[in-house]
Amino acid sequence: MATLPLLKISSLRAGIDDNSILKGIDLEIRPGEIHAIMGRNGSGKTTTANVIMGHPDFEVEDGEVLLEGKSLLELEAWERARQGVFLSFQYPQSVPGLQVGNFLRKSVSSIRGEDEAKGAGFRDSLKQAMESLDIPRSFLSRYVNDGFSGGEKKRFEILQLMLLKPKLAVLDETDSGLDIDGIRTVAEGVNAAIRGTNSGALIITHYSRILEHVMPDKIHVLMDGKIVASGGPELATKLEEHGYEWLKED
Amino acid sequence: MDSASKYLDLGEPSRSSHLWKYTPWKRVHPSGNIGEIPKLSKPKLSLSLLDGDDAPDGITLIEGGKNEVDLPDTDEITHSFLEAISENSKWTLKVDKGFHSENPVVLEIEAGDEASSCHISLDIGESAEIEIVTKVTGGKDWFGLLRTGEVGSGAILNDVLIGLMERGTMLRTDSISVGRDAHVRAGTVSSGSEKTKSDVRFRMGQIGGSVRVLGSILSTESMHLDHHIEIHHDSPQTFSRLSWHSACGGDSRTVGTGMLRVSDGSKGADAAQIFHNLLLSEKAEADSIPELEVMEHDVVGCGHGTANGPIDEQQMFYLEARGLNKQEAKRTLIAAFLNSTLSEMGSERLHEWLVSELTKKLETLES
Repeated sequence: MATLPLLKISSLRAGIDDNSILKGIDLEIRPGEIHAIMGRNGSGKTTTANVIMGHPDFEVEDGEVLLEGKSLLELEAWERARQGVFLSFQYPQSVPGLQVGNFLRKSVSSIRGEDEAKGAGFRDSLKQAMESLDIPRSFLSRYVNDGFSGGEKKRFEILQLMLLKPKLAVLDETDSGLDIDGIRTVAEGVNAAIRGTNSGALIITHYSRILEHVMPDKIHVLMDGKIVASGGPELATKLEEHGYEWLKED
Repeated sequence: MDSASKYLDLGEPSRSSHLWKYTPWKRVHPSGNIGEIPKLSKPKLSLSLLDGDDAPDGITLIEGGKNEVDLPDTDEITHSFLEAISENSKWTLKVDKGFHSENPVVLEIEAGDEASSCHISLDIGESAEIEIVTKVTGGKDWFGLLRTGEVGSGAILNDVLIGLMERGTMLRTDSISVGRDAHVRAGTVSSGSEKTKSDVRFRMGQIGGSVRVLGSILSTESMHLDHHIEIHHDSPQTFSRLSWHSACGGDSRTVGTGMLRVSDGSKGADAAQIFHNLLLSEKAEADSIPELEVMEHDVVGCGHGTANGPIDEQQMFYLEARGLNKQEAKRTLIAAFLNSTLSEMGSERLHEWLVSELTKKLETLES
């Protein structure tokens, strides 16, 4: 029997404040696969990420989003997180007063269970993940995203990805605002969390550079709320060279 | 004139002043009859280290008051009233000159089941370095606290008052003088009494003084917590920051009024105050009035501000996306909001202790 898709999105229509943004999206990610969505500003990329995570401001008009065959749409965001959905935010929220170390323990405990958030096991995996992302120990006593640089915020999102070990990671423009070294570090973090596992990832990006390091299995182009092209890594190269206009002409 | 006669001479304070606008005097007077000066019980006071060990030599609690000079002007009504009712309940907390302790000292005041009050004089010696937590517990009826005192030149004092009364009313007046180059951090953590009327004042009458006043206030159910803070810059090169965070739930009300006074001649003064209110329910109310009186033009800066708002929905979503359910996310954000000021009140050790005390209160917060 064929394994269920990790993520299956069918005929998804969604919007915000009575404005339809997604106009029928179909997408399927199988376990172990990394897909990428590219598209211009306003094409619906971030809306797709928010709808998968369950942002309360977005309304699903039609369609279905299934994680391992189970519908996500009736679940609250925290229930989706506990089912294994992770969103790396384009603009992570700062929470002054909440220390990073405390936040990570709470989050790991909520998603992976109390035992995973304490003891030497947790400390070791935290230390290892922080070292691989070049995050200093002092980071743990800072407040969540408060006064972080753009690069620190993105690395912190990937640190959470590595500790939470989700089934599905959605990365919303995690590469934006990063320098070349930062992109490489983030890409290595994504590869470490997803490659060789049964998890999957959906990378939302404007640029092909992160894709050179992650090498997605499939790339989709989103335009005006619809996927207008899908293909292999060569699609990213074509978009880099010719932009999006040729897709309009097609 | 003694304190009792002085109080009786003053009459009822006008509600036109900010100090009495939100909490009329008769509402916080022990009997409500403002012409009465009741005889009250003495609370139990004890001094120990934060870990429960005996307080070390160099810090002592002595029964009886002391003469003090250069205190900031305070509200005459509450000051004279508290002085009068605490005539037989006076204490001096003395820290020797040059005394230094890494371990915070706890002054526990067990307010008791009946109405009680006390007057504590702080006598912080020159160049002493110490953290003092005044913890008010018990207190089912009414508790009055008058704190006066001096922080000696070059001393570094972290002074935190944590109000954990079971219910009832707390009336507090502080009048503290800060010496040359002395540094004071004064924290207030309030979450117990049903009604609180507090008036905390500092005067920097000598060059180089520094005062940082911080508040972490949690009001729930139908609490009414009214705090007034005044900082007087009466000397050059003095520095002050007032940062006050109040989280209000249920149908409670918090009031925060601040006054920064920079007198003529206080060149190079640097003063700022900010009040933040987190509204946790539709019925909760928070009022903040930050005021400035600046009589000197050659200052580094004098600023004030206030911000009110509910819990941020985007922060909620961020925490929910990390697996915290709605109630956990809300509690976490309230704790973080209060922790922003709590974490500035003293050492890491003191902070951990304060967080554990406040966490117990947060666990009882209605969802």
